[in-house]
Amino acid sequence: MLKLLIKKEFLTALRDIRLQVSGTVLLILMLTAVLVGRQGQKQIHEEREKAQSAMYDKWVNQGAKHPHSAAHYGQFAFKPKPVLSFLDIGLDNYTGISVFLEAHKQNEILFSAAQDSNGMTRFGEMTAALILQVLLPLLIIFLTFNIFSKEREEGTLRLIHAQGLSMRQLFMGKVWGTYLMVLLIFLPVILMAYLMLDQQSASMDPTVNTKFMLLAAGYSLYFLVFVLLCVLISAFARNSGISLIGLLGLWIISCIILPKATSNLADKVYPTPTQFEFTRTIKEKVRNGIDGHNPSDSRLASLREKVLKEYGVETIEELPVNWSGIAMQAGEEYTDQVYDHEFTKVENIFKEQNKISEWAGFINPYLAVRNLSMSLAGTDFYHHVAFARAAENYRRQFVKVMNKDMELNHKPGVAYGDYKVGEEMWTSIPAFKYDLPDPISILSNQWRSIAALSLWLIGLFFLSSAYAAKIPKL
Amino acid sequence: MLVTLGAGIYGIYFGKFEIDKQNERIAFVKDYEREKFDSLLVWARLDTTITENKEKYEQAVSPQGVGYTLHFAYCIANQPAPTAGLCLGQRDLYPSYYRITMTDLSRQMNTGELANPMKLLTGNFDLSYVFVFLFPLLIIALFYNLYAGEKEGGTLSLLQSQSVPLRSILLSKALMRMLVVFGLAFLLLVLGFVLQGITLGDNSGLLFQWLVVVFGYCLVWMILMGAIVALRRSSALSAMLGFGLWLIFTLITPTLINLFVLANEPLPNRTTMIHELREESGKNWDNPKSYVLNQFYQEKPEFNDGDSIDFYKWYYASFAVLDLKAKDMKAGFEQQVNKRNTLLEKWMWLAPAAIVHNGLSKLSNTDSDSQKDFMREVEKNHTELKNIYYTRIFAKEQFSIQDLENIERRL
Repeated sequence: MLKLLIKKEFLTALRDIRLQVSGTVLLILMLTAVLVGRQGQKQIHEEREKAQSAMYDKWVNQGAKHPHSAAHYGQFAFKPKPVLSFLDIGLDNYTGISVFLEAHKQNEILFSAAQDSNGMTRFGEMTAALILQVLLPLLIIFLTFNIFSKEREEGTLRLIHAQGLSMRQLFMGKVWGTYLMVLLIFLPVILMAYLMLDQQSASMDPTVNTKFMLLAAGYSLYFLVFVLLCVLISAFARNSGISLIGLLGLWIISCIILPKATSNLADKVYPTPTQFEFTRTIKEKVRNGIDGHNPSDSRLASLREKVLKEYGVETIEELPVNWSGIAMQAGEEYTDQVYDHEFTKVENIFKEQNKISEWAGFINPYLAVRNLSMSLAGTDFYHHVAFARAAENYRRQFVKVMNKDMELNHKPGVAYGDYKVGEEMWTSIPAFKYDLPDPISILSNQWRSIAALSLWLIGLFFLSSAYAAKIPKL
Repeated sequence: MLVTLGAGIYGIYFGKFEIDKQNERIAFVKDYEREKFDSLLVWARLDTTITENKEKYEQAVSPQGVGYTLHFAYCIANQPAPTAGLCLGQRDLYPSYYRITMTDLSRQMNTGELANPMKLLTGNFDLSYVFVFLFPLLIIALFYNLYAGEKEGGTLSLLQSQSVPLRSILLSKALMRMLVVFGLAFLLLVLGFVLQGITLGDNSGLLFQWLVVVFGYCLVWMILMGAIVALRRSSALSAMLGFGLWLIFTLITPTLINLFVLANEPLPNRTTMIHELREESGKNWDNPKSYVLNQFYQEKPEFNDGDSIDFYKWYYASFAVLDLKAKDMKAGFEQQVNKRNTLLEKWMWLAPAAIVHNGLSKLSNTDSDSQKDFMREVEKNHTELKNIYYTRIFAKEQFSIQDLENIERRL
């Protein structure tokens, strides 16, 4: 019986001119977004790959020089464009794309696309994510706002009920029928998107298939939540007009107004520190010690004592190793601690801010799916931080190798300009490579959004089974 | 209506909050700068016969700096324009001030303000947002059932039986609603000006410009809704049509334009600039001092004293040479960026919401062009300050009290 009902709803929807028009528009938009977006993603990906390897070439071919000069010459890390980012561009326009890696200093990741654009960018980009998160729910609203009221106005609702069909069955029939319709639009496009994945960039991420499946699953859940919500509201609305206005109002609040309000609120609750304070604190702590009582001179003095003791000599000149190399590395490790401390502090503030929008997923399913989608596409803040960490670790690694070489091989008494190493040294540092976080860490990072979506689903099913019988028939 | 009013007031409040924060930051850094410079002035007057004072005195009067410490870092702030708090525009993407030293400017500009990218993505809930996104919705809600409401409510025949033609009744209804929209916009704007502490008397021209843009935008929407009402369809269909237009003009066209432009005109890579500068900087260090100085003297013959061995002359000239080279690189880069932005502008007519938002940002000096103006101002300041420094450095002289006072006047 349920099957018959679903079929009926599905077919009615299919014959509806509103659906035919808006469905076609959505499909065309979706196709454009996927096709053009993929093109852009591929282009950016290739460009960054090229830039990365060109810059590594520069490093390898920098010629013979002192290892510390090489550490100052530095390297670059480019953020790879995640393969799924064409489905959800997320924060990509607002985060920096590359960072200069050099001795002594953790640089910022610079050059976001938004800074080089005009005000248009702030309107966002037409991506699959925008269509699925914002426009498809509208289609659901148009499909469902009069799903009960129409039958009520035509008197068929009572007729069907008289035939022995419970309102619960009828309700579920309408829900699944509509959902089927939504899937009919969603599945082919998402399948096509999958087939069109840029294989070259996909090979960079071995877990891309899992992420893709999870992404599709997340959206399927979101649609079901939305269908249930809409059918439920329209079942209890007095007439189609009220139902439509109510649903549209809900959409405007949850998709347009609340997201902005939420992130603005987050900035108030957890204020962002200023760049000025940030750099000043770092400078201060490097000079006077993390606790403020360990200035750099006394750190150096105690290190000298320790090293002299270790080698059993009296003066630096007697050391068999290069003292500057040791001191430099020790200084590096100290500043690393300061950087870790300060950068983590800022990251944590941003994470707390973002958590507010994740928690807000419990009142607004749009936010839940938005965060989840961004995360799986590899374009959220978590991924940005992961890249920053990887780049910084790489920097510390190669600077350390340079300092170690200086310590061991730059013999005392040889002038700075007279000790040089060459290509062999440079190639011993492998090129920067960054692996995207795996699906499990992404999911555990996004548990709030997943929980929010699940809770919405369970709650709505519960509500509808509890109240379906009370749906007014007249 | 109430929702829009509430949103408007929240927008004003939020915009004020953001701009106050920026002002606070600027004031904080300026105060810091002030304090530091005041101590320089005190140090420059110290009695150097006392040995303890010597170091401070040296720091104050040495244009080339002492040891690894440069003489001074200047804060150049982008003071927000009066209505910046009503339309934050692109301001949140850029630092509201730069702290610059007399080394090369090109590498000092590569900095940002700490900002959560998530917040940048979702954007600001300011008054301009209320006007651009929410006002059209209000207009749709007020107009969609202008005709159909009467028909569906059964009052249409009543109206038709009046001696006044239906057309003028509907028109007067429309005019009433138009007054409501304009009244609300006017109220919010005046409220915005007052609450942000913008003096109406001095800025009445600005208020007028805002009103023109906002009223014009509302008028466009009312005409669109008028056309829909003239079709005389059911209220549900009219509402849907209006809403569809809203979707197209505020959501779909801007995002589609962005999609196509971004895919076809990818941004050039700024990183290459950093790389080339590091190569140039390497050359400066590896070559004999004359390599830098010859280039510098060619550009700035007024400093040419034939000296090609002095460390500080070479050191500061090398920064100037770097900036010179960066200028060419930047020009090439900016050309590409401009090409892309022109393409965006070329298609902007399809997205009226973007045009209006852009217009309001221009009025508030918060658009990307204003940022470019500010960058030029920083550059100009840097050049002027540099001249004061270089004059002394190349004459191998120290700052006089007069010099410092001249600089102080610029702070």
